Amino acid sequence: MMSLFAGLGRYGLWCKEFFRAVWVHGPPKGQTLHEAFRIGIQSLPILLIISAFVGTNLALQGYNAFKPLGGQRLVGMFVSLAGVRELAPIIAAAMIAAKAGTEMASQIGVMKIREQVDALEVMAVNPLAYLVAPRLIGILLMLPALTLIAIFVMLTAAYGVSVVQLGLAGHEFIQFASESIEPIDFLYGAVKAVFFGLIICTVSCYFGFHCGKGPEGVGAATNKAVVTSSVICILLNYFISELLYGGSL
Amino acid sequence: MIELKNVSKSFGDTTILRDISLKIPAKQTTAIIGPSGTGKSVTLKHIVGLLRPDEGQVMCFGTDMATASEAELYAVRRRFGMLFQDGALFDSFTVGENVSFPLVHHAPSMSEGERRARVEEKLALVGLPGIYDRPTSGLSGGQRKRVGLARAIVMEPEVILFDEPNSGLDPITSDAIDALIQEMKEALGITFIIISHDIVGTVNVADHIAMLYGGNLVAFEPTDRFVRLDNDIVRKFLRRNLVLPQGPDEVARLPGLE
Repeated sequence: MMSLFAGLGRYGLWCKEFFRAVWVHGPPKGQTLHEAFRIGIQSLPILLIISAFVGTNLALQGYNAFKPLGGQRLVGMFVSLAGVRELAPIIAAAMIAAKAGTEMASQIGVMKIREQVDALEVMAVNPLAYLVAPRLIGILLMLPALTLIAIFVMLTAAYGVSVVQLGLAGHEFIQFASESIEPIDFLYGAVKAVFFGLIICTVSCYFGFHCGKGPEGVGAATNKAVVTSSVICILLNYFISELLYGGSL
Repeated sequence: MIELKNVSKSFGDTTILRDISLKIPAKQTTAIIGPSGTGKSVTLKHIVGLLRPDEGQVMCFGTDMATASEAELYAVRRRFGMLFQDGALFDSFTVGENVSFPLVHHAPSMSEGERRARVEEKLALVGLPGIYDRPTSGLSGGQRKRVGLARAIVMEPEVILFDEPNSGLDPITSDAIDALIQEMKEALGITFIIISHDIVGTVNVADHIAMLYGGNLVAFEPTDRFVRLDNDIVRKFLRRNLVLPQGPDEVARLPGLE
């Protein structure tokens, strides 16, 4: 337990130093769009596939749950509530943690053990501002967009399965889906994505900067980055949902 | 210009540097030698402010690197160039992008043409003309060091630090790097600080030699005097039969440290 608090303390101090470095030095010019493009485009194909198949299964399980009660028309409501409010944001975050987060931890870890981070320091270029800031801005730009794309794909796939495979009426699916959520739910999804992006980027880069020696060190840093950022995002998701949709904490 | 005053540094229970005092002569080449694990690289990292001492001062151009703010550290570092062991080149960049990196960040008024001309000039100086657009992934160990050296001199610094310039190189490439350092020394006439455990190369290149052993400064003399020193550790190291002591007690009993 003590090591957990010590680790949180070190991470907190590192984040403070990172934000100070960005405030003083600013992000490097010309890198941010490159990072945003990399994070967005590289993660998109896998996100499309996973979102689509989560949508199909939500429809199937919703149908199985409501059919014995005669409420299979509620599949649209179930899919939109679970998908828009919870699953799309967390799945987009998990994909980014697995793809972009591990890449950040391993790239920075390799740079650290090959003395490239020291080389930046010696060349009077702040490594936190140079390496982390463009990645953070890139992820903060792309993750909300990817979350909205995941919502759209999830709902479309669920609609397809509901209508084609389960024989439900399309207009009923749309009616129940649209009545159960509000436009602000999409904004909330994007807000969640901003918090998840902040966690994924800072946790992954933190472990990259604190990676041990050799390939084992890089592997361990990458592993810790994806596990820690995913767990924090899932815990954070509960608290944000509770704040936005639930009763008082 | 560069002076270490009573510098001590420990990592956990392990003491790496013990009360080291060393004044680096300006516009000359100083080699810091010693077996692996005796604090040579740690000394170099103190000079550029990558590490801060537990005790003592590291004075560079009038700034104490031990207590300097980030802005002061960066101002001093712009007067340094450093060649890292493996070159520390950025793998995703081309050779030209690597060498021009400090110019991009610290000389924004330079046009792209001026930058390219400067980089081409430095690449030619290290014996690698015409490789500006080559990716760094295809470079040999010796070429990586040369490109790293071109990057170290591109801002035309007042001090160049070399961290084990011969490590990982075959004897022929190692000799070529020594010859290159000698050429650069004559061409640039600036302060060189070389960390090395290569005896032959060091004696050929350095004007002064400091020897570290077990975290202690054993000797610091002009090269011609150093090679004739009547000191057990120095003589053993020069004969290449020095074995590291095991633990602090054994270090304390070393005859050269009395």
